[in-house]
Amino acid sequence: MNTGPGCSVRILAWIAIILLVFLAIGFAVGPIGSKLLGIQAPNFLSVPKPHVQLPAEGIIHINRMLVITNTLLASWLTVIVLVVLFAFCTRRMKLVPDRLQNFAELIVESLLNFIQGAAGEKNARTLFPIVATIFLYVITNAYMALLPFFGTIGIKEAGDTFVPLFRSANTDINVPLSIAIMSFIFVEYWGLKSLGVLRYLNSFFNLGQLREGITNLFKGKIRPAITGIAFGFINLFVGFLEVFSHFIRIISFTFRLFGNMTAGEILLLVVCFLVPFIATIPFYGLELLIGFIQALIFAGLTLVFGIIALTPHTEGEHS
Amino acid sequence: MEGIGINLPLLLAFLVNFIILFVLLSIVLYRPVLRMLDERQARIREAMEQAEQIKQQAARSEDEIRAQIEKARQEGQAIIAQAALMGEKLTEEARESARKESEAIIAKARAEIQQERDRVIEELRHEFADIAVMAAEKVIRETLDKEKHRRLIEETLKESPLLNK
Repeated sequence: MNTGPGCSVRILAWIAIILLVFLAIGFAVGPIGSKLLGIQAPNFLSVPKPHVQLPAEGIIHINRMLVITNTLLASWLTVIVLVVLFAFCTRRMKLVPDRLQNFAELIVESLLNFIQGAAGEKNARTLFPIVATIFLYVITNAYMALLPFFGTIGIKEAGDTFVPLFRSANTDINVPLSIAIMSFIFVEYWGLKSLGVLRYLNSFFNLGQLREGITNLFKGKIRPAITGIAFGFINLFVGFLEVFSHFIRIISFTFRLFGNMTAGEILLLVVCFLVPFIATIPFYGLELLIGFIQALIFAGLTLVFGIIALTPHTEGEHS
Repeated sequence: MEGIGINLPLLLAFLVNFIILFVLLSIVLYRPVLRMLDERQARIREAMEQAEQIKQQAARSEDEIRAQIEKARQEGQAIIAQAALMGEKLTEEARESARKESEAIIAKARAEIQQERDRVIEELRHEFADIAVMAAEKVIRETLDKEKHRRLIEETLKESPLLNK
């Protein structure tokens, strides 16, 4: 007899055998197994063919423009879960924390440490709320999507199309886009606040050389005038590129998260369709990892852009 | 844009959603927890400073106590030495006074003895005189003059070297 800690070897072996049996059944009733073995799975075991739909489906149609979609419901659920959970955790704050308060403190402290490591003590408090909110929102959206009632409970609409009640909020392009817009707004706000309007614009458009060229032109010095104006226009062009890059950030933010999350969901759907049992478990693990990484990337990039905006950069002012 | 589902009202809804989450989390999570973390940090720093102070104070008072003990020891030693000295002096004094007293007693005794001896000699002299007178009376049976006799005898006795001191 194995009297060591944990399960005995025999129990582990039984669990492995049961899992393998389920895996085999799943493989057999899935489309690949059916084709290979030539058997027809019973109806209750067959998983419907996954259909990929990028725009979120409406649940409640208020009017033609205003539709409450399943992703909106999911994001409300995320907001409610986060707020209620943390309100509960921080209900009675004590100097010696109990378990729930410890949980909230763990999250806040690790995020704060992450931000402080990059931004330093002073800027961390400015950056913290938005970066932390982005992280918590994205990761909760991603993890909630792994719960069983996402994508399974739904309503049948006209034309026999199945519309799930909840769908991972991150797979609706409006969600990554809205977070990206918030990130963009805050980054620009920090830049404006720390530098002031004129200096902030000056950090994009370095007009010193152009001005110098024009004064040289009026003074009649042709050669420095030409080089000055030429470099001035190059700088102007670079400035437009810089502005453009700030807007590009929104798009890259949006599609990075949207693409990863949608691909993850489709992957899960397809694996679940091919092998209904067991085989999806590793992919769920993968999705947990990807959800965390995407949240970290979204928050981390916002953090980095915020740091760039907050630290006064002196290059480009030496002309 | 319609193909991937960008939808302005929905986008606005999500923006509002995010702002609501941001505000609520700020109220419910960030502010209380950060305040608590700061407070705890301040407390810990304070406590550590206090501990450092207490440690220093303890070291200082230990030094002080050691110095005091050393001082007390020295004082005690001094007192003992003084006491020993004093004791010696006292015994010396006592011995001296005893010696003096005994000497005085001896001297007094000697004087008394002398006195007694003188008195006895005097008495003896009287006795002798009386005896001699009586003997002379008996011998000569004739009492010439008692007073004359006595004087005679007394002179004789005074002349005798034995009874003269």
